[in-house]
Amino acid sequence: MTAETAGRSTRFDWSTWLRRRGWTAGVWLLLLLMILWYSALIPKFGGFQIASISKNSLPLVYLAIGQAVIVIAGGIDLSVGAMLILSNSIAAQLMFEQPFGVTLAIAVLVILIGAVINGVVGWIITVSRVPDIVVTLATSFSLSGVALLVLPSPGGGTSEGFRAMFTGSTTGSGSNFWPSLVAIAIPMALAAWWMKNTRTGLSLYATGSSPTAAYLSGVRTARAKIVSYAVGGGFSALAGLSALAITGSGESRAATGSLFTLRSVAAIVLGGVALTGGIGSVVGAAAAGIILFTLSPILSAMGIDPNSAQVVQGVLIVVVMMVAGIIELRRQRAG
Amino acid sequence: MTISNAPMIEMEVLPDSKWRTALRDHPLLVLGIVLIALVIATAIIEPRYLGVSGLRNTVLIAAPLGIMAAAQTILMLTGGIDLSVGMIATAAAYVAGNQSPNGAAIAIVLGLLVGVVAGSVNGVGVGLFRVNPLIMTLAMSAILLGLFTALSFTVLQGSTTVAQFIKTIGGGSFLGNRIPYNALVWAAVSVLIIYGLRRTGLGRLLYAVGDNPIAVRLAGIRIWQVQIAAYAIAGLLAALAGILLAGRTGAVDLQLAVNFLLPSVAAAVIGGTSIFGGIGSYSGTILGALILGVLTTMLTFLDAGQAIQQIVYGGIVLGLAWLYARVTGTS
Amino acid sequence: MTIEPGVRPLLSTRAVAKSFGNVIALRSVELDVAPGEIHALLGANGAGKSTLVKILSGVYQADAGDVEVEGESVRLSTPAAAVAAGLATVFQDPALIPDLTVGQNLRLTGIDEGEVRVWLERMDGASLDFGALIRELPLPLLRLLDLARALALEPSLLMLDEITAALPADQAEHVFTVMEEWRSRGNSVLFITHRLGEVMRMCDRATVLRDGRTVASVAPQEVGESGLVEAMLGEVVHGEPGAVRTARAGVGQVLLEAVDIGSGDKVNGVSFRLHAGEVLGLAALEGQGQDRLFEVLAGDRRPDRGEILVKGASLRARSPYDAVARGVVLVPPDRLLALLPQRSVRENLGLPLYDRIRRWFSVARDEKEKVADAIDRLSIDTRAARQAGRLSGGNQQKVVLGRWLTAGFQVLLCFDPTRGIDVRTKAQIYGLIRELAADGAAVLLYTSELAEIPLVCDRVQVLYRGSIVDEQPAESATEESLLTAAHGIRSEEVA
Repeated sequence: MTAETAGRSTRFDWSTWLRRRGWTAGVWLLLLLMILWYSALIPKFGGFQIASISKNSLPLVYLAIGQAVIVIAGGIDLSVGAMLILSNSIAAQLMFEQPFGVTLAIAVLVILIGAVINGVVGWIITVSRVPDIVVTLATSFSLSGVALLVLPSPGGGTSEGFRAMFTGSTTGSGSNFWPSLVAIAIPMALAAWWMKNTRTGLSLYATGSSPTAAYLSGVRTARAKIVSYAVGGGFSALAGLSALAITGSGESRAATGSLFTLRSVAAIVLGGVALTGGIGSVVGAAAAGIILFTLSPILSAMGIDPNSAQVVQGVLIVVVMMVAGIIELRRQRAG
Repeated sequence: MTISNAPMIEMEVLPDSKWRTALRDHPLLVLGIVLIALVIATAIIEPRYLGVSGLRNTVLIAAPLGIMAAAQTILMLTGGIDLSVGMIATAAAYVAGNQSPNGAAIAIVLGLLVGVVAGSVNGVGVGLFRVNPLIMTLAMSAILLGLFTALSFTVLQGSTTVAQFIKTIGGGSFLGNRIPYNALVWAAVSVLIIYGLRRTGLGRLLYAVGDNPIAVRLAGIRIWQVQIAAYAIAGLLAALAGILLAGRTGAVDLQLAVNFLLPSVAAAVIGGTSIFGGIGSYSGTILGALILGVLTTMLTFLDAGQAIQQIVYGGIVLGLAWLYARVTGTS
Repeated sequence: MTIEPGVRPLLSTRAVAKSFGNVIALRSVELDVAPGEIHALLGANGAGKSTLVKILSGVYQADAGDVEVEGESVRLSTPAAAVAAGLATVFQDPALIPDLTVGQNLRLTGIDEGEVRVWLERMDGASLDFGALIRELPLPLLRLLDLARALALEPSLLMLDEITAALPADQAEHVFTVMEEWRSRGNSVLFITHRLGEVMRMCDRATVLRDGRTVASVAPQEVGESGLVEAMLGEVVHGEPGAVRTARAGVGQVLLEAVDIGSGDKVNGVSFRLHAGEVLGLAALEGQGQDRLFEVLAGDRRPDRGEILVKGASLRARSPYDAVARGVVLVPPDRLLALLPQRSVRENLGLPLYDRIRRWFSVARDEKEKVADAIDRLSIDTRAARQAGRLSGGNQQKVVLGRWLTAGFQVLLCFDPTRGIDVRTKAQIYGLIRELAADGAAVLLYTSELAEIPLVCDRVQVLYRGSIVDEQPAESATEESLLTAAHGIRSEEVA
């Protein structure tokens, strides 16, 4: 009996796999196709182009991962962009003209600050019972205000080693794409493993999927929510650090922050994370983050001006969501 | 599998503390008290505030915000949200500015038309294609920004100042400079919306869709119709707010109303409209917009920099929402 | 009857009280569960059973009173604390995470898979794939899984909240076997159910709650079913509560006809005719396609095969709107699907009046009148009229039904309208259904309580695996005859 059931659960079933992981796989496939398409569009495609895509999409990838963690646990964070510019501002102020070792320590500190602040935000949400959207909307005001205090005008800087760590080059531009690929892969893999294999990670899925059932089966849902916000805050801070590594100096415009927030939400939805919580993975969200970034070089390679490119990007997102909605509807009908 | 709530129990009413009951039954009372407290605080900081021009300025600031928040309120009641109100308002104002040489009437009508069209597209996406409202309106915002930036170099080149009539209704005052014209517009809009939500079938349906869409569908109502109507009305209101705003500033650009998005949500939330739908009223939102208006004035008097203003703003929105959730037991 | 002197109760509660806002759920509950017994917790709807279970499982905290486990006072502040105190609960809705697999659900709560498998095998659920998502599994199986998970915690007291509701008979038997085994190991079971037959058969003692108070603690065998009912209702009930077959109209024209309807693999060629003035019962075990059949009939889903005729004309509904427009209306299985919990009773009742755009621009002139009529006819308790969600379950169901009285209809599709509703309200609802039929409406009634079919229906059809397998006149139908037919194959085996 046991052998039979064991065999049943290990047998590979394509339709089940497609239903569970199809979306994530599809998003990565789409990314691959887009990069192939891009390589066909431009005369010379090499390390420099790959590096340019992978390093420049870093901030959005990190934000998407952070947002995905929070949304999977049943929340939504409209302050990730503000957190990005805050950590960017703090790091640029502190890291200016410091040696590599010090900048690394500061980086860890900044990530911790992000995690703690957002953990407190998560705590406020669970205690006050004010909806996530409202709380994070309010904190997005406050955080970008603090960022403006920390760094009133663009400036600051970081060490060359720190820039190379994310971008593969001390000046932030070059054709060594490995560091940036690693910078995408390692945090993504860690987050994905943590989410799916640890009790805490699973408790985030549980809390997002059905808070009542999770609570009844003994999951500490409030803790799960706070943890999700703390992890999300850490990733938002990491995004701010990567942005600093790319540009080499800090910037605290609130508008940049809200643009990033909006893109992070678009990325996770495209990446297959359900805004209702409990469904999706950080892996899909990360791929969608790269896709959103890759759209712009492709459109400009096609000779479309940046403004029209924005229109195209918006329309594409809507069309993808419509298709997803129709697929979902069909699936329900057929089920 | 449906997870149902525990069935509520046949009730027997316990005597409740009087002020709590009063506050729960009249949530607007809390807001009124907060508003008055803020006005008094502002007056202490700057005694001249209680004079004619101080209060006039608050209303002048609050009116466009209040109208934009009306759009937000209507959508939040249905369980939706519109992150494109700021951009719709901007686009409408831009068209109105561009068409101003053709006369104020044409400028206003075309501006409002932009709002209705953009709103309807949102409604079609949300209602018929089931796109998540956050995503749909987010994308709409990006599309409008890109589109109008591109158009501003081609078709919409030209006038960026608005007609005199628009300036008057957006920024002018009457009765010896006491009452701003935009307050009149706001009052008219308020009466219409409050009446509409309470006394029309559509009003009933807006609440119902937000409360339980499945029930509404099973009752034989086509939800997509309600949603398209709601988003179209929201677009119209956002456009109106944008035009009034353009009248106040006198000129239009593509950043005009973008910063009004978050406050529009904040005003509705402060006013007690649930972001999950089904609960709330426009009267609350009006108070919410006024509170934000007084707050802005107060921070200006305090000569607080942009950074401090933002921090305080966030704190107050959060604090009020928290207090409100505490007192009324809803959110 | 109290516990024999000298035996220390495993669990006892003293004067436990709880209210929600200004609603009192429990006034004073005294409950003693002895070691090694199956103890029933009974009460009409709203008596406070579920609240008590939630307090004992750490979901709610009592406002006053004391809970003792083996003589020690315990604080049950979270579900985890309750488990630590040796109390495990299987709730009405399985506490399993729909988007995680079975295995992940167990890992989430730190429960050994092997242990769970052992219990599942004993309940004939060994074939369960631990890699399957919870949302893909049928409800009865989830109940068993939840039970196996609770048993793996090795609780000294196992609490089962309505576990047999919606459980097919054979699986309910498995549950009973496991309960007996748990008792034989010296542990106890607290068993909450509406089915008195199960209490008589399984339970050593019973505690009865009424209006949030313990009113009796008895041995079921001594007082009998009528004694239990009497304690629950606080008055002697004469005869069957649902004896409502007074007004029977003659059968009129065919209002609704199903011709060979099929939908997926759930509904296979269902045909029937529903006449004006009749109540057609539908009997089926859980999961025979009745949910899907009602969805299709109500226009919520298009049939893959076959045709629906309303008064002889084909109905191809794209949404419930089309069905409602032709007078075919649904009272869905879960009243939370049909209620606007945060809106007033009036808005709930008036909802269908606004189905067309031309009615959007004002409140219907006759709304007030129609709503008052419905409230009157159904005797809806309007004390909590500002928020329908705060009404009792019975009143909520009346509101859902009343909506169609305001709007008007010809064919009423009623899906288990009395599930979890107290005896008195049940009688009212069945009375109303008969009245509606007498006024010329046609009613299709699915109910999970087979004993009630003869009381309210004219004839009854039996659905098995998506097909109608039997039809009986309601008057002569008995629980046995319907159950036999509802098991499909078994009836042939018997024959």
